[in-house]
Amino acid sequence: MGGAALGRYIVRRLLQTLPVVLGVVILNFLLLQLAPGDLATVLAGEAGGAPKEYIDQLRQRFGQDQPVLVQLFHYLRNLVVLDLGYSFRQSAPVLDLLLARLWPTLLLMGSTLLLSLSLGVGMGLLAALWVRTWKDHLISVAAIIFYATPLFWIGLMLILVFSIKFGWFPTSGMEDVVAFNVGFARVVDIAHHLVLPTITLSMFYLALYARLMRASMLEQRGLDYVTTARAKGIPERTIVTRHVFRNALLPVVTMAGIQFGSLLGGSVVVESVFAWPGLGQLAYQSLFARDFNLLLGIFFLSACLVVIVNLVVDIVYVLLDPRIRIG
Amino acid sequence: MRALTKSLILMAAAITMACGPAHAQKSGGTLVQITQPEPPNLAPYISTSGPIGQVTAKVFDGLLEYDFDLKPKLGLAESFTVSPDGKTVTFKLRRGVTFHDGKPFTSADVQFTIMDVLKTNHPRGIATFKEVTAVETPDETTAIFKLANPAPYMMAALSGYESPILPKHVYGVGDIKTHPNANAPVGTGPFKFVEWRRGEFVRLDRNTTYWRQGRPFLDRIVVRFIADASTRTAALEKGEAHIAGFGAVPYNDVRKLSALPSVEVTTKGYEMISPLVEMVINTKKAPFDNVKVRQAINYALDRKFVIDNVWFGFGKAAVGPISSNFEPSGLFGAGVDFTVPDRIERANKLLDEAGFPRKADGTRFEMVHDITPYGEEWQRFGEAVQQALAAVGIKATLRYEDVAKWLKRIYTDYDYDMSSNFLYNLADPVLGVHRGFHSDRIKKGTVFVNGSQWSSPETDALMDKATTEADAAKRGALYRELVTKVTEASPVIYVHELKFPTIINKQYKNLIDSPLGIYGNYANAYRE
Repeated sequence: MGGAALGRYIVRRLLQTLPVVLGVVILNFLLLQLAPGDLATVLAGEAGGAPKEYIDQLRQRFGQDQPVLVQLFHYLRNLVVLDLGYSFRQSAPVLDLLLARLWPTLLLMGSTLLLSLSLGVGMGLLAALWVRTWKDHLISVAAIIFYATPLFWIGLMLILVFSIKFGWFPTSGMEDVVAFNVGFARVVDIAHHLVLPTITLSMFYLALYARLMRASMLEQRGLDYVTTARAKGIPERTIVTRHVFRNALLPVVTMAGIQFGSLLGGSVVVESVFAWPGLGQLAYQSLFARDFNLLLGIFFLSACLVVIVNLVVDIVYVLLDPRIRIG
Repeated sequence: MRALTKSLILMAAAITMACGPAHAQKSGGTLVQITQPEPPNLAPYISTSGPIGQVTAKVFDGLLEYDFDLKPKLGLAESFTVSPDGKTVTFKLRRGVTFHDGKPFTSADVQFTIMDVLKTNHPRGIATFKEVTAVETPDETTAIFKLANPAPYMMAALSGYESPILPKHVYGVGDIKTHPNANAPVGTGPFKFVEWRRGEFVRLDRNTTYWRQGRPFLDRIVVRFIADASTRTAALEKGEAHIAGFGAVPYNDVRKLSALPSVEVTTKGYEMISPLVEMVINTKKAPFDNVKVRQAINYALDRKFVIDNVWFGFGKAAVGPISSNFEPSGLFGAGVDFTVPDRIERANKLLDEAGFPRKADGTRFEMVHDITPYGEEWQRFGEAVQQALAAVGIKATLRYEDVAKWLKRIYTDYDYDMSSNFLYNLADPVLGVHRGFHSDRIKKGTVFVNGSQWSSPETDALMDKATTEADAAKRGALYRELVTKVTEASPVIYVHELKFPTIINKQYKNLIDSPLGIYGNYANAYRE
């Protein structure tokens, strides 16, 4: 398969996702109309009360005096030129707010994906190799415990132990706001702040991947092609690394792609415990404030992210398994 | 002789206090404040959402400042005079004050701020400056407020938190409602806005050309936003953050923190805010249209139990709609005492008289009690109310919804029986108290006004008189009569004056030096 074919494939896939994203946007827009109360009420509530003139003024500014379908039409028309609207609560354009949160989100997700996949796959692999020994049981029990423990609790315990008791890590935030490091020192500082949130968020997914990898490895090892390979006299180590491992990885990669969407959701808790400035927290706040412009923007961005990640997953398939053809 | 010595010592003490312990105050240091939740914007002239002021009061100055007795002190105004008829207020402004962008501050900025911004756009300013018909500027350092009627309450609302003075050359350009500087404030205050990273922090640096010589002492203030309550406690415990107030730390953690040698806890600095915990009753709905039922509920509530067990002792039983913080200014009054020892018998008797005898199962009637959706302690409060009502035979079901839905239910749909509630008295009863039960504040769709829909011509008249009465003693007398009448009718049950704990790292001094507390400007704060 040449690079041109891959390029054409990517373009076609992206075009196919347009109706999906459009559907997501329209559905979300209509769903949000069902929530009781509106932004004007919340703003007035936050202010501790406001005269009626003020609230009417707000509703007019937000365009809420227009019919829903007209509002939807305006929204879609603006979306075409990537104008996601204005967040009246935060007094800033939605796109700016989203972009500011995007890279902390990607940083946390990226490091989580990396840690949970590598550790999870490693643990699953070892458990499969040591199947039905005490080491396998140990790994499996650990995975179950990680899976069952609430994220916020893990986060708080990590803070209590490693931040307050030992003082190894900062309790929260993304960088030191007293020092305001620059250059390389800032990179180190952010990495330092990233450790605890990444570990916390990884725990859950790590368990998932470990269990899946173990099962997948055991299944692959019983298949005919492994017997054939053994009959050919290929060393056990080569069979595992070159054949079984690569095939066993496929379901894990699929899972990771699907989990990416939920990673956004799961990060709400971790972001709030560690005061990490990500998209999850922004979504949570804007929902309770009925800041629908901002919320729709977040949904739109998440939909785009999920679509892109799944495209990447499909391409990774090809690299892992030459039998899979794209197109 | 002894008297002379004593007065000399007092004088010496007064002088020392006035000058301050100058030798101990060092320049430098970064103060990290925790504000919860993150402010939606930094535009205090258009939104009074609580967290905004905690940041912007350091950036903007007001014409006046206030002492702990709520008496005015001078801010951007060098002096002020109120005419005998109360309809003309003349402010002489300080010379040589500049905004953070270097441009000078003049009377034109005052005129612009009051007339074009606060009077028309500020949620509370619309009421505060209702009587102001014009701000005249005969010269650059004089601003004369012309009023249609006397407005004594206005003089309590001129702090940098409540009525920030804006530069006309910045905010006068473009639409004030969607102004680009809404998130990058420019003022004359002791700290300059530098950066706001959403979800993380706001950074304010020392204004080196601040008009108060040698102030501020701190180099920098960083206001951090941490969504999780336990993490906020951890950051304070570890010394990563140095001050937090307004319930940012859960009450049960306050006790733990106060045991640390590095931390002090104070309940000072809320005198101009005066938060009250209340229960608002829908007086248009049977059986709550019956005054005896409302009084019975008022008697049934055990205020001491609620304060001690739900709010961990951070409160003081309320005796009416006006907080005891108004005692020094003479506006406080106590109403009917609902904490008498035989309150349960009285409640039972009132309910019998109202025509709700106990049925075979011991209950009289059922109701739904809505809970203010502001967090854990409000749910515990709801449970305490439920228990108290059960003791007099009222079976209450609890309902907890999110803020938007709750506000709509109480203030737009009036679809409720009784709800807990949380209101501020603010700087003056006209601003914070009247809204709770004046007939002109029964406004469908407007939040935190008269949700009980109760009013009476007598109480309306008392409030109208107190609004324009310039003499403090006469105002006080009007308010005492008002408080008695309102507590008798019990459209709202005043539970307690909430004493918010502020957690402060002991390295930092003079942070809370005004009745506005965290809404102060920290110009005098320093690090040891």
